[in-house]
Amino acid sequence: MTQNMNRRGFLKFSGSAAAIAGAGIAVPHIARAAGGKVVVVGGGVGGATTARYLKLHDSAIDVTLIEPNATYHTCFLSNEVLSGERTMDQIAVTFDGLRGLGVNVVKDTVTGIDPASKMVTTTGSGSFSYDHCVVAPGISLKLDGFTGVSDAMFDTITHAWKAGPQTALLRRQLEAMPDGGTFCLVAPPNPFRCPPGPYERVSQIAMYFKHHKPKSKIVIIDRKDKFSKQGLFMQAWKDLYGYGTDNSLIRWVKAAEAGEIAAIDPSTMTVATDFENVKADVINYIPPQRAGEIALTAGLANDSGWCEINKLTFESVAHPGIYVLGDAAVATKMPKSGYAANSQGKVCAAAIAAALAGQEPGTPSYVNTCYSIAGRDYGFSVAAVYRYDAENNAIAGVKGAGGLTPVDASAEVRRREVEFAYSWYNNIVRDTWG
Amino acid sequence: MRKSAWKAALAAGLLCGVFGAETAQAEMASAAMLSNTCDACHGPNGNSYGPASPSIAGMNAYYLTETMTRYASGSRPSTIMGRIARGYTEDEIKAIAEHFAAQKPERHFAQDSDAQAVELGQRLTRDLCDSCHEDDGYAAEDYPILAGQMMPYLRNNLADFESGMRDLENNPTMSAKERRKKIRTLQDLRDKHGAAGVEAVVQFYGSRR
Repeated sequence: MTQNMNRRGFLKFSGSAAAIAGAGIAVPHIARAAGGKVVVVGGGVGGATTARYLKLHDSAIDVTLIEPNATYHTCFLSNEVLSGERTMDQIAVTFDGLRGLGVNVVKDTVTGIDPASKMVTTTGSGSFSYDHCVVAPGISLKLDGFTGVSDAMFDTITHAWKAGPQTALLRRQLEAMPDGGTFCLVAPPNPFRCPPGPYERVSQIAMYFKHHKPKSKIVIIDRKDKFSKQGLFMQAWKDLYGYGTDNSLIRWVKAAEAGEIAAIDPSTMTVATDFENVKADVINYIPPQRAGEIALTAGLANDSGWCEINKLTFESVAHPGIYVLGDAAVATKMPKSGYAANSQGKVCAAAIAAALAGQEPGTPSYVNTCYSIAGRDYGFSVAAVYRYDAENNAIAGVKGAGGLTPVDASAEVRRREVEFAYSWYNNIVRDTWG
Repeated sequence: MRKSAWKAALAAGLLCGVFGAETAQAEMASAAMLSNTCDACHGPNGNSYGPASPSIAGMNAYYLTETMTRYASGSRPSTIMGRIARGYTEDEIKAIAEHFAAQKPERHFAQDSDAQAVELGQRLTRDLCDSCHEDDGYAAEDYPILAGQMMPYLRNNLADFESGMRDLENNPTMSAKERRKKIRTLQDLRDKHGAAGVEAVVQFYGSRR
């Protein structure tokens, strides 16, 4: 295996690995402090990571991050709030860490992005000009036309697919539910944020029921016939919640068995399909999804509602100078996960810092790791290391690497994976928001 | 001695064919780009905020390279690291190892410990461990830093040594003398001081700041 010594300017500028690291900054120094203005829209994982790493690359870059919430609640581990294992405060993060690095954090809502004049407009804080704009808006909900479905329903039937007040409301509903009640989750069609999320949610709520309301039942009405980590979840449900027996706490109705949904009705608390009416005490309807509103408004999305990007830099195919990453982007084959958004933020920040310094972007490297906690001391994971595959224009997982926890892993491995899941949380929060 | 053992292992072809990634088509990503992807689990610059994922900042590059290589081959057991380590080429592993070796260790995650256990742990480690893990586990020259390491990680690895999941007798990166010494020391710790002694060692190292 020979080391490619014929490198382009970027690596020459960055010097040896040891020299960079010795300076105590985990990113290459750009040859000259180029400065430049970057406006980041959205303070979730993708936006915050990009903002933080831009500052680590070059503190002279003028970074403004615009986010409507003063406190951000992470979607990851929000399922533990639903089971009572964690409080809302324990999934709350602030932007103080980014401010400490010199990021200008503006609490406001972005109303428009004009790629021609390179200007971002907000509701209350006026306009911000940029050299590069990063759009990390997460998802928006694309409501179905079923009877009963409307924006007004979410006061009664939650989506809880953006962590925050909806998470707290669903927790209150589960707490108020009588023992012997039914919880129904309507799982979304692909593609959607956090593919294993609905099934981890069901697992966590099953754990809560098992210990506090053991006569209760869970019904999943799915829009798909298979789902992420399915074998691992089903094994967990068998091990913990009687799945496959007459006494199962969980019933999963796949799309082929559910048929079409006719109604999700808050007035009768019923989910009506071709084959049954599921009457439930608590319903969680996770709608189909597309990129966050501002990406749609700014003309960054394709006909399917997601944003096509250059996978080496995350620069929008529709509007050069604007970058889209995280759940909103089409980053095939990375999943719409928090770790993916964090990894993409680092690639995007490096590309923008290079561009501001008049250099070509370096070769990217991407990783995803994703843990699910199906019960006490019962965790499992999926991981992948990716490289850019020019032939297929894909962020392709390295063959022979990555993959799932084995279905037959020992109880000790499952216990350790929960420890590592909590470590994942603590460290990704620091790596993202400082 | 340790470094020469490692070089011998290299010569013996330890590294051949364990990584899933073949020689990359494009030029290699920078050490920082490769290493930054680790931080979301291991903490900023490899300094973990716990509770279990180990800090890797300031570890010597030999140890990090050897560890990644053995995760990739499966000769060291792991939950997730084998799946990740197989995603990198030998050159990339080296770059990542050198990157983290050059980071400053920061022990910013305070772990709960029992004062009596820590006191016992200090006596035991100075007697049994300190000739390799020198300076109360702060030394990084030849062996991994243990001072301030995450206690669940230390606990799990001591359990794996005891169960044989971490097979010291067949660890190709240690000399025969090193292997004998470590096996004997761990045996002494368990036989003479029991589970409480093992836990005391964990708490002593974990509570170093």
